[in-house]
Amino acid sequence: MSEKIYAWLLRLYPSRFREAYGEEALQLFRDRSRDETGFRLRLRLWADVLGDLALSVPREYFHVHPGLASFSAHLRPEGVPSFFVFENESLGPGALVFGGVLSIAALVTFSVMLNSGGKYVPLSALIRPAHSSAKARSSAFDSSAPRAAANTGEKASESKESQPPEMDATSFQPAKGAAGRPYGSVKLSASERRRIVEAAAAIVEKHYVDHDNGRKMAAALRVHEKNGDDNQTTDGPEFAALLTQQMREVTPDRHLTLDYFKVPLPQHAPAPTAGDFARYREVMKRESCTFEKVEVLRSNIGYLKLNWFPDVSVCEATARAAMASLNNADVIIFDLRDNRGGEPAMVSFMAAYLFDHPEYFYNPRENTTEESWTLSPVAGNRLADKPVYVLTSSRTFSGAEQFSYNLKMLKRATLVGETTGGGAHSGAFHGIDEHFGMGIPETKAINPYSKMDWAEIGVEPDVKVNAANALETAVQLAQNKLQKK
Amino acid sequence: MPKQKLNPLPSAAFQILLALVGEDLHGYGIMRQVAEQTDGRMRLGPGTLYSSVQTLLEAKLIEELGSREDEKLGSERRRYYRLTAAGRKLARSEAERLADLLRVARSKKILRGEYV
Repeated sequence: MSEKIYAWLLRLYPSRFREAYGEEALQLFRDRSRDETGFRLRLRLWADVLGDLALSVPREYFHVHPGLASFSAHLRPEGVPSFFVFENESLGPGALVFGGVLSIAALVTFSVMLNSGGKYVPLSALIRPAHSSAKARSSAFDSSAPRAAANTGEKASESKESQPPEMDATSFQPAKGAAGRPYGSVKLSASERRRIVEAAAAIVEKHYVDHDNGRKMAAALRVHEKNGDDNQTTDGPEFAALLTQQMREVTPDRHLTLDYFKVPLPQHAPAPTAGDFARYREVMKRESCTFEKVEVLRSNIGYLKLNWFPDVSVCEATARAAMASLNNADVIIFDLRDNRGGEPAMVSFMAAYLFDHPEYFYNPRENTTEESWTLSPVAGNRLADKPVYVLTSSRTFSGAEQFSYNLKMLKRATLVGETTGGGAHSGAFHGIDEHFGMGIPETKAINPYSKMDWAEIGVEPDVKVNAANALETAVQLAQNKLQKK
Repeated sequence: MPKQKLNPLPSAAFQILLALVGEDLHGYGIMRQVAEQTDGRMRLGPGTLYSSVQTLLEAKLIEELGSREDEKLGSERRRYYRLTAAGRKLARSEAERLADLLRVARSKKILRGEYV
């Protein structure tokens, strides 16, 4: 039976191909159906054959007959455009009828699927597909709000509302007029709470780096919900904090969060396009890759104010030039008081100048790999043994904190200023609905210094002063140090 | 024009040339050999297989050997194909091109490994 169907399908090919290879194609099909028995293998065989048909039939019709091609090439004088005759045969009536029937069948199947899909939207469809989470992880340390902690000293878990995470400088904006609830306070109903708990449990179960603990946390969330522990909480931010706490009771992981977003999240973050990248490139060029100041201050102190760790592929030349212009300084001050994060690759690229050997740079977001080491020494660089000061503020965030934290732990820099914002963002972002989302750690990085990093608590400076006075203080410290030499 | 169809060399055509390096094979033999050398990732369907065979024949990269039986597969007669010297040369230059590409990929740290 299968063979008959395939023999019939073969009629889709042009007669020239059928005459030359029809019998052999059929023979091959026969061989395969003899060798590949069983439901799965048979299914695979048909998938192969149909896919092959879809690809090779059009190709055969456009296959240039060698005789014709060389003939037309022969006729064509140099530089004059000419048409090629692709096929000396039109589609047979059988092929046309069959093609028509096949298209109608495909159309009907498609519309039936669309209709039945429209009536029931599974929960999983509300959850952002994995690609957006991968994007969130790979693009950069996002510059989402430095949790209320930064300015008020509050613990982040007590913070009320977060802002939506920005994926990077150019990507998505919150959807305008997104359907749903208004921005103000939201009272959650029992069914909404149940829906969020179920979605959160499904996400943590599926994505948490340690699957056993993921399952345990999912179970805990469900048990709490069932026992009515969530019933008193109708406020969005409080509910997010409660669920976060329930999960952390099972696994005390500060990188795991469930957040409430006051401004509705865009439901479908568009994938970045080539145009986005071109715009990013343009902005970076206009902003000198966010190197706001690169200068040599009095006493030969090199000063570099960087407000973002941009993409290395776009800003490598600018970064190299900046570091080269400070190459003869006796001290170097990195001003990260307005730096909100960026690409871990650029963090590591900049740090490479401060060492004469590869140094491990802890990044909570990435698995520990060969690339966790700086590419030191940098050829021609003289800064590897020069004193380093890093200026921090409560706005210093994410990637800028990674830079500060590692240099502090390696005792390679003196941090001057304020405690930083506390954004480690090691989790991939998963949206639950337009107001709730989760940060889930999907990787395990080795922190050689302590169990704690800067997530939520920030990086403590070595010398605590107001951010506004940090530069002056650092210059003083540097001068004192240089005089002692 | 076969020359244009084979430049760049489609991966199915390259796999077929590679399959024929060791021995002369018939169509089903080529299909199985390709599946084996790609760990099952590439299963050439009849249409793709024979349209590639046709193109390779026209470009004289392989030649047809006439029909004979394959004892393991019964009494049916099958056309066998053999790699020509030109085919061997093309397969080699394609492999070298891929090796160059691999070297670049390794130097950019997309791939790890010492050799090549």
